Amino acid sequence: MEITSNFHIGPFEILFPLKPFVPSSEHDGENIFPGRLFVVEGIDGSGKSTQLSLLHKWLESKGYGVVFSEWNSSPLVKDTTKLGKKKKLLTPATFSLIHATDFADRTERSILPLLKAGAVVLCDRYVYTAFARDVARGMDREWVRDLYDFAAKPTVAFYFRVPLETAIGRLLGARDGFKYYEAGLDLGLTDDAEDSFRMFQGRILEEYEKMIPEFGLVVIDATLPVEVQQAQMRQIAGKHLESAKNLRIRP
Amino acid sequence: MRQTYGKQLPAMTLSGLAGKLIVIEGTDGAGRTTQINQLKPWLEELGHAVLDTGMTRSRLAGEGIHRAKEGNNLGHVTQSLFYATDFIDRLENEIIPALRAGFIVLTDRYIYSLMARATVRGMDPSWLRSIYSVALRPDAIFYLRIGLDELLPRVVFSRGFNYWESGMDLFPGHDMYGSFCIYQTALLAEFDRLSEEFHFETIDASADAETVCEHLKARILETLKPPAPEAVALPTYVDFMETLEQRLAGILTTGRKFAEDRPPQAMQVSSHAPTAHATRENGPL
Repeated sequence: MEITSNFHIGPFEILFPLKPFVPSSEHDGENIFPGRLFVVEGIDGSGKSTQLSLLHKWLESKGYGVVFSEWNSSPLVKDTTKLGKKKKLLTPATFSLIHATDFADRTERSILPLLKAGAVVLCDRYVYTAFARDVARGMDREWVRDLYDFAAKPTVAFYFRVPLETAIGRLLGARDGFKYYEAGLDLGLTDDAEDSFRMFQGRILEEYEKMIPEFGLVVIDATLPVEVQQAQMRQIAGKHLESAKNLRIRP
Repeated sequence: MRQTYGKQLPAMTLSGLAGKLIVIEGTDGAGRTTQINQLKPWLEELGHAVLDTGMTRSRLAGEGIHRAKEGNNLGHVTQSLFYATDFIDRLENEIIPALRAGFIVLTDRYIYSLMARATVRGMDPSWLRSIYSVALRPDAIFYLRIGLDELLPRVVFSRGFNYWESGMDLFPGHDMYGSFCIYQTALLAEFDRLSEEFHFETIDASADAETVCEHLKARILETLKPPAPEAVALPTYVDFMETLEQRLAGILTTGRKFAEDRPPQAMQVSSHAPTAHATRENGPL
């Protein structure tokens, strides 16, 4: 946003932002913004949300100004996503774009301004969720990565690695049935929701594995006891907070 | 076969899209809608099935965009992506099926307007080109071009200034008039750039609607002309002579072989046969 340029068109002098954001590679929360951005990734049933909420509690107890942002939660976009899912209007491409729109709104409205203001921002799912799901739905790998070029680079992206069967076992105990898009039923792999879920999540797992080296995801073994995983998370996050100079402390 | 601007969406088949995709582009107030309202019935009279489509008309995102624009908090990246969602929904669910059914698709704006608006709002042009690389290349892009001086009276004396057409989200410090002038000038400059990049056919939209319409009709008729039949390469004289020589050489060889295989006395009895035989095998000269 800082990059602006003056130029003239006709009689008018225009102040234009040339590029909305610096490219994501230079967008390291460590260097540009005083805030910190921690994100959790993993398939459903990996326990990532539990871990993030425990980290949230810990950060608050330390006095940091913490803000939580959830995947697919923009008030501006969520009605459209809901309509698309309910009426089964979404194709892999529009599924991808509507989630990117949602993410853009949260990025522009909260994540970036908060990082600039020196907050600790926690995201349950981030761009890697889109990379995994959209590619599993057949979207072009490079196209999806380009699409999210405006995203801020996380301070740490935790990936909760869990075998597919463990995750499914956890989910089956906790709820009844899978939703249409969540199970990848839109792909028509099979009519059986549980089989489809298994196949689709299997593809997603493969994508996550490829992203570990590509984006330097920090792997947490999600089969370990909750307490052990949390201790690891706090240790890693703690290191990045020590070096922080301008983090806001909650009033 | 039809092509995209680079990438293909999953399950998108490009073959069999027999219809024609005709784009009417131009800045606000250039008269696109007026023209399309004339062109559609005209094409239907000529016996063509026509689908007209335009921005924010998708079932998925149209309503959502309108709602989002009512508020005062639609960011530029979000806005660009919301429009992209609307476009792709129409591309997959309206435009492609209509082309497959042999329709003429008349689209009021296409990816170019979306890119121009977003670029003026500071979006990275290469980011936009990547997103829209999945769009179909149209059969024709007509750009109704109108300068600011001609545009102003049209807007002022018909519908008045509108918040978004005036780019008030970009220049909130100005009044609507000032903002309109800056915004539309910037858009025009961007359209001129796009015109070169994507080879628009520019039509002077400052002329009266009837003249513009006649111009468009003539150009559309040309676009609709069935493509020249697959150009069959007519053999040149040299080609012809070469082929002839080759055939004759073939006949001679066959004939010689035939002769060698037989005793000389038999040769006289059936001297025509080898030639006739060889000719049949090689086809008519």
